[in-house]
Amino acid sequence: MALNPLSLPRWPGWRRLPREARDTLFLLGVIAWTVLPHVQHLPLWCAVLTGAVLLWRARLALANAPLPGRWVLVGVLLLAAGLTLWSYRTLLGKEPGVTMAVALMALKTLELRARRDAFVVFFLGFFIILTHFLYSQSLPVAAAMLVSVWGLLTALVLAHMPVGQPSLRHAAKLSARTALLGAPIMALMFVLFPRIGPLWGVPQDGKASTGLSNSMTMGSVSEVALDDSVALRIRFDGPPPAAEGLYFRGPVLGRFDGREWRPQTPSFPGALQPRANLRVAGPALGYEITLEPLRLATLPLLEVTTRTAPIEGLRVAQRDDLSWLAERPIYERLRFRAEAHTEFRHGPVTGVLGLQDYLDLPAGYNPRTLAWAAELRRDPLYAQADARSLAQVLMQTIRQGGFSYTLSAPPYGRNSIDEFWLDGKAGFCEHYAAAFVVLMRALDVPARVVTGYQGAEPVPVDGYYIVRQSSAHAWAEYWVAGTGWVRADPTGAVAPERISRGRRLVPAQGLIAGTLGTVSPELLASLRDAWEGVNNRWNQWVLTYARGQQLDLLKSLGFDAPRWEDLSLLLIGALSGLALLGAAWAWWDHRRVDPWVRQMDRLRRALQRLGLPAAAHETPRALAARVRERYGVEGEALAGLLDTLERQRYSPKAASRPDTGLTRRFTALARRLPLLAR
Amino acid sequence: MAEAVLPPSPAPRARGVLSKRLTAWFESRVARSDTLLLTQRNVYILPTRAGLTFAFTLLVLLLASINYQLNLGYVLTFLLAGSGIVSMHLTHNTLRGLTLRLRPVAPVFAGDAAALEAVLTSPGSARYGIGVKVQAARADTLTWIDVPALGQASAHVSFVPATRGLHSLPTLSIETRFPLGLFRVWAIWRPASSLLVYPRPERPAAPLPAARPVPGGPTLARTADGGEIEGVRGYRRGDPLKLVVWKKAAKALASGGELVTRDTRASAHQELWLGWAECGALAPEDRLSRLAAWTMAAHRAGADFGLQLPGRDIPPDSGDAQRLRCLEALALWR
Repeated sequence: MALNPLSLPRWPGWRRLPREARDTLFLLGVIAWTVLPHVQHLPLWCAVLTGAVLLWRARLALANAPLPGRWVLVGVLLLAAGLTLWSYRTLLGKEPGVTMAVALMALKTLELRARRDAFVVFFLGFFIILTHFLYSQSLPVAAAMLVSVWGLLTALVLAHMPVGQPSLRHAAKLSARTALLGAPIMALMFVLFPRIGPLWGVPQDGKASTGLSNSMTMGSVSEVALDDSVALRIRFDGPPPAAEGLYFRGPVLGRFDGREWRPQTPSFPGALQPRANLRVAGPALGYEITLEPLRLATLPLLEVTTRTAPIEGLRVAQRDDLSWLAERPIYERLRFRAEAHTEFRHGPVTGVLGLQDYLDLPAGYNPRTLAWAAELRRDPLYAQADARSLAQVLMQTIRQGGFSYTLSAPPYGRNSIDEFWLDGKAGFCEHYAAAFVVLMRALDVPARVVTGYQGAEPVPVDGYYIVRQSSAHAWAEYWVAGTGWVRADPTGAVAPERISRGRRLVPAQGLIAGTLGTVSPELLASLRDAWEGVNNRWNQWVLTYARGQQLDLLKSLGFDAPRWEDLSLLLIGALSGLALLGAAWAWWDHRRVDPWVRQMDRLRRALQRLGLPAAAHETPRALAARVRERYGVEGEALAGLLDTLERQRYSPKAASRPDTGLTRRFTALARRLPLLAR
Repeated sequence: MAEAVLPPSPAPRARGVLSKRLTAWFESRVARSDTLLLTQRNVYILPTRAGLTFAFTLLVLLLASINYQLNLGYVLTFLLAGSGIVSMHLTHNTLRGLTLRLRPVAPVFAGDAAALEAVLTSPGSARYGIGVKVQAARADTLTWIDVPALGQASAHVSFVPATRGLHSLPTLSIETRFPLGLFRVWAIWRPASSLLVYPRPERPAAPLPAARPVPGGPTLARTADGGEIEGVRGYRRGDPLKLVVWKKAAKALASGGELVTRDTRASAHQELWLGWAECGALAPEDRLSRLAAWTMAAHRAGADFGLQLPGRDIPPDSGDAQRLRCLEALALWR
């Protein structure tokens, strides 16, 4: 059949489509729906290729034309693989994998020859649904993917109803029933399946998707500034600390090699190292924190957390630099309680030799900055200045020296501090923190960079605060004799609102929200609050459900010291119980017979107890005649019931189900009749 | 029946001797019966290849959920797992409780397809996507039916008996994969009825042997070369239409006369014997084939005919009863 590629086959109407064309179009629609949310992550060519292939396949289905040959498919597949390689320089990893899966799924629709091919499409579809969750697990994504699962199951059910032309609605109902019956099993497994860490290392993607790492180079933090995913959630027992106090302390970076900041590698023995020497004041503030998997051994906890509740299966300890370190990188979601003090001092009060490490500067880097510092020192005003006043000077310079706070800082070169401090004067928190520390060291004050998160946005309900990856932050600490380490946040000097309100840089509002906001700000606010509330429940009950909650559940079920092995045992026990129930139901069910036959059996047995012959083939009418013959007037009521049954079952207006009341009345009446002599 | 949405699975390869014997042994354990109630005891279930692939897919999804700490991934995996487990019960439930009943089977000629009609009755809910076939046949010969709730549906299955005789019916298999195709549920049914298979009629049929005059009777009719018996009379109520001599009737009608039929009574004085000896030097089965063809031809002509087999003679008669009597004798000879 020659097809003009530009002429579309005439649309016959959904109901008049041949069965096969209709089912194929339905499957294509489900596939398109499943793939659609990926368009924002996919390279343009993949989206275009997928759309074109799906449309082509739909046209073939409408025209009932033959599918293309295998070599065409192989060619397009090779092209897709080549383009993937060209886009990502690799075929491994998350993004190339998703791209290839989507292309493969589209191409497979051109090869629906055998049952096996169709199953490949279904299973690839389930896999692609999962890949959406790598990007977002939000409520809308979950709802869209639920529709996808329903659609795929409906297509599966349709494929197994070979007779006639079953309606889509009917197949959808059947698949929904299957899924709903499976939902209790899903809930049971979701609650009880032990949450364990990754079985093997997940390949890291080219761009770090987490805000924090154990090192900092210029530009590494700004990369995550646009990442809106959640880093942690926190709920305070009492009133929350002021936004200025909301520092979550991550890795402390004390060593600078001119390009990269890393944790300090001490060059002095332990006894000479600066100790934590934590001195707290005021009452402790209890809080509950849920950490997303950060793939980092350091837990970003509120400054300064003094105690954490024991975490199942993980030992954590506070280091001398006040950061909390776990024994291994955290790949699972953690939820636990901890206590913090917002008023504290820390670090050695008198100088120790180990502080010398915090004065090191790489040789041959940033000469102009060093010269700038030396010039400052030559100023008689500052020749004898202490650390605090030097920090003041630097802050003053940042405030008044024409510095600006921007995400799109120019890339700085080899002498990045020079170029930032003296030329560009535009940067993000990491630029300010790094420059501050370098300058303090150049001024002979021990200093270090602290990374973590700053600020938290409140969720209107439940008292939760959310810290997003975009709140990743870097600040500085310098040492003051007699006090210890003192926090200095140079970003606050250039962009105070970044610190005081914990404000992130947010993109402009969408059109609808913008319009609604101008028409009715209250409605928009309450809508947003309601949505945030639903979203927060979703987060708390579904997304952050982790081992901690599982063990809490076991505790409430009466386990004294639950371990994850108990979870497995409970799950296996519950599933075995369900299986036994299923088997018992099947066994009970096999004795089920036609309800009419069952009713007739009971009536017949009642008559036989009276001594009245009643054979299996005899109709109610024949039995009624026999009752009348044997009992006369006395048996009229019984015979009448048999006549009623005859009408119920065989008349034109027959009932669809037997009348159980009739059975009861019949046996009661029969019991009152005298036994017949045989 | 309705076309399958999916192309059928490829036919299974020729089975090995061992598995054939295993199947035979297994079948011999199933009692023969013309009605069969499908219960827990005679309905079997195994995952299909697609079911195993599905399990593998679930494993991949679970590993991805664990490694990427995706709680929604867990939800998806467990939802599919739950649906799969439920579908196992639903698939089994599709067959369980059904009653199968075989309608009486009409005799056929060897080489022609014998149609079996199985009536499936559901005691409760509607059942979808049930396939019936002769067990030894290929998978693409499945006849698909749906059984309505508290109702009945008929499945027509045909098979071609190769030889004449009284055959027991082949074993039937009833299967379903509804709703998700992850499990195949099947039952084996050995109907107790037997099927009478007449010899395959010779084609093209040899001319009928000449009728022999009855010794002592008058000879009225002459026989034509083709063995057709000539002799006509006026149409009488009850004469079969095929005995109407249309050419003559047309002329007669044109001249205001009446329909004209062959007068089979004219041959009452002649006897047509379809004899074993008339078949010449053929092998016994070929003789039976020729005799079957002659029986049909003689019956079509409306003649009286008798059948002579070694050891059995059927005296001349006409009509359906005579045809069936003769064919049965041919089918069961020796």
